Amino acid sequence: MPQIGIPRALLYYQYYPMWRAFFEQLGAQVILSPPTNKDTLRLGASRVVAETCLPVKIFVGHAISLIDKCDYMFVPAIRTMEPKVHNCSKFLGLPDMTRAVVPEAPPILDVDIDVDKGKRELSQAIYKLGRHFTWNPLKIKRATEAARAAHLDFQNRMWTQRRTPIQVLKEIFPELESDEELIEEGDKTIALIGHPYLLYDKFVNYRLIHHLQRLGSKVVTPEMVERQEIDAAIIKLGGEAYWTYEGEVVGAGGYYLDAEVDGVIALIAFGCGPDSLMISLVQRYAKHVGKPFMTLTLDEHTSEIGLLTRLEAFLDMIQRKRRVGFPV
Amino acid sequence: MKVGFPHGGNIYIPLRTLFRELGVDCVVPPPNSKRSLNLGTKYSPEGACLPFKLTLGNLIEACEEGADLLVQARGFGICRLGYYTRIQEPILHDLGYDAEVMKFTLSENFKFIGILKLFKRICDGASWLRILRAYHFGMSKFRDLDEIERLVQRVRPRELERGSANRLFLEATHAIDDADSMSSLKRIKKDYIEKLKGIPQDPDADPITVGIAGEIYVVLEPFANMDIEVELGKLGVEVRRKLSYYQWAKYNFYLNPLGINEWRAVRKAAYPYLRRDVGGDGWESVGEKVLYSQEYDGMIHLFPFTCMPETVAQNIMSSTKEHIPVLSIACDEQMGKVGMLTRLEAFVDLLEHRHCQKRRGTP
Repeated sequence: MPQIGIPRALLYYQYYPMWRAFFEQLGAQVILSPPTNKDTLRLGASRVVAETCLPVKIFVGHAISLIDKCDYMFVPAIRTMEPKVHNCSKFLGLPDMTRAVVPEAPPILDVDIDVDKGKRELSQAIYKLGRHFTWNPLKIKRATEAARAAHLDFQNRMWTQRRTPIQVLKEIFPELESDEELIEEGDKTIALIGHPYLLYDKFVNYRLIHHLQRLGSKVVTPEMVERQEIDAAIIKLGGEAYWTYEGEVVGAGGYYLDAEVDGVIALIAFGCGPDSLMISLVQRYAKHVGKPFMTLTLDEHTSEIGLLTRLEAFLDMIQRKRRVGFPV
Repeated sequence: MKVGFPHGGNIYIPLRTLFRELGVDCVVPPPNSKRSLNLGTKYSPEGACLPFKLTLGNLIEACEEGADLLVQARGFGICRLGYYTRIQEPILHDLGYDAEVMKFTLSENFKFIGILKLFKRICDGASWLRILRAYHFGMSKFRDLDEIERLVQRVRPRELERGSANRLFLEATHAIDDADSMSSLKRIKKDYIEKLKGIPQDPDADPITVGIAGEIYVVLEPFANMDIEVELGKLGVEVRRKLSYYQWAKYNFYLNPLGINEWRAVRKAAYPYLRRDVGGDGWESVGEKVLYSQEYDGMIHLFPFTCMPETVAQNIMSSTKEHIPVLSIACDEQMGKVGMLTRLEAFVDLLEHRHCQKRRGTP
């Protein structure tokens, strides 16, 4: 049984159930890299040039941790998931980049996902990926269907039950490392916006959700917003979506700034191209509606204490605003 | 109505000519300066890239001079560039300039038709014939300037009196900018080519060659790259550069829709290392390194700080089998000229050493 390694980074948080269903249906075993730790970042950062953004450094670290642990490594190149909505260059070049910076990695299985090119190209790409395991097109088709069903189920559970990807993943695959439950009550509600690989990687954000809850606030995340609301918010802030993950930042930001929350915190990575511009749209809107808004930029020099200080100051400000009814 | 547009190398020359021929009032913003950079940096999101900041500075300066119609590029699936207008427009409005921003879409297949339509919209009333004529004149200037620049790149490292080719080039740029008819343009071009060929050159010169690749804006905007070509010329280095706005326009406007791509060989060379377009000029940067590793002595890779496609390219470039020294320079608003000169000198020293060894035949 071939073993497929999947790095626990970047798109893992959105597509893991789908990928796992696909490979298991084709008779492969999926190996997941261990959760991010200090070494992941250290090893990853030592391979790539300094300007590479933090999530990619962590991805490379995860890829390194899979060396000698699997027969293949799965790294997709996702260009578009919806027509005319493109992904960041770093996602497009991910398989080639991993091959270049981790030459000792197991052979990399890549697949070009480009919805813009049409259904035919897409199914051909998936077929090409499946050919590594079987010659039978029907089997590949069945695996694709299973993957699709798994993905829809995963999304459904998130949206209907208002839970984070980590919680749902834990529910589907009980062997995964557990995460703190989101607490339903708190005297303030704080919305977190940003990419899942920043929000749900406890190492990267220094357990931000945990700290927010400890300080007495209820946390809501982009996954808890209806798809239509996200699309409406993107239109409200700046027109049609341009980046694949615009919904998590602009959409969720635009929605929460108008919703019944006390403050919005955006998590972005230093050096992230799309974020650097998208966040300015949200910032402008926050100023317009006068809701407390804070941007936390993460890089490998971020310290937990610094982050906590800013968090406490932000929450204090909300508290005071509420007490005096003073506009911030 | 006054039209304004951002700078980018010598792109202002054909645009100014075009608008003049069409009888449209146009404001060429002052050349990129410390002030445009400061203005751009002040009002941009902090993580934005250098081209964003500089073009925003240009647009603000154009508005200050009374422009009320701005032309800026946009597109899909390239890089941050496609998103520029969405951020720059509200910034300009916040500053109190209510200029309309017209977008030229770069991701269309038929950009030629797109740009003609854009001109038609700007100068309501001009006939298609007049637009085509003006367009042709502008492009001719662009072509001649490109040709002269290629010659200047060859003369610079060989001239006996340093700086004379560059002086002539600046003169030629002004003369071409001022030319008002096709015949005078032809004369100017012939004149300057003769003058450039007449510059006394060192017959024994064997300059080292350095290729310049990277992100098109910083490669072609002398202010963004601190005049790197002139500085390399002073150090006696011959610069080879495949990127140019004229070539870009020529291929993107007429030849790419016909299936002819100037980058085919370069992309093929990059294929073993990078199999897909990553937006911007990332694919081409990798390809140029691989393809020209025999031809050039060294390469300089220029890109704006945090540029997404070029970061991917830079990560891949260092691991190719074809080896050639590459100096990667990230350009941003913090860059200092002296720091860059030091790096250039060290790089050129290294290349000269290798060049001598190669000539002597020792490994």
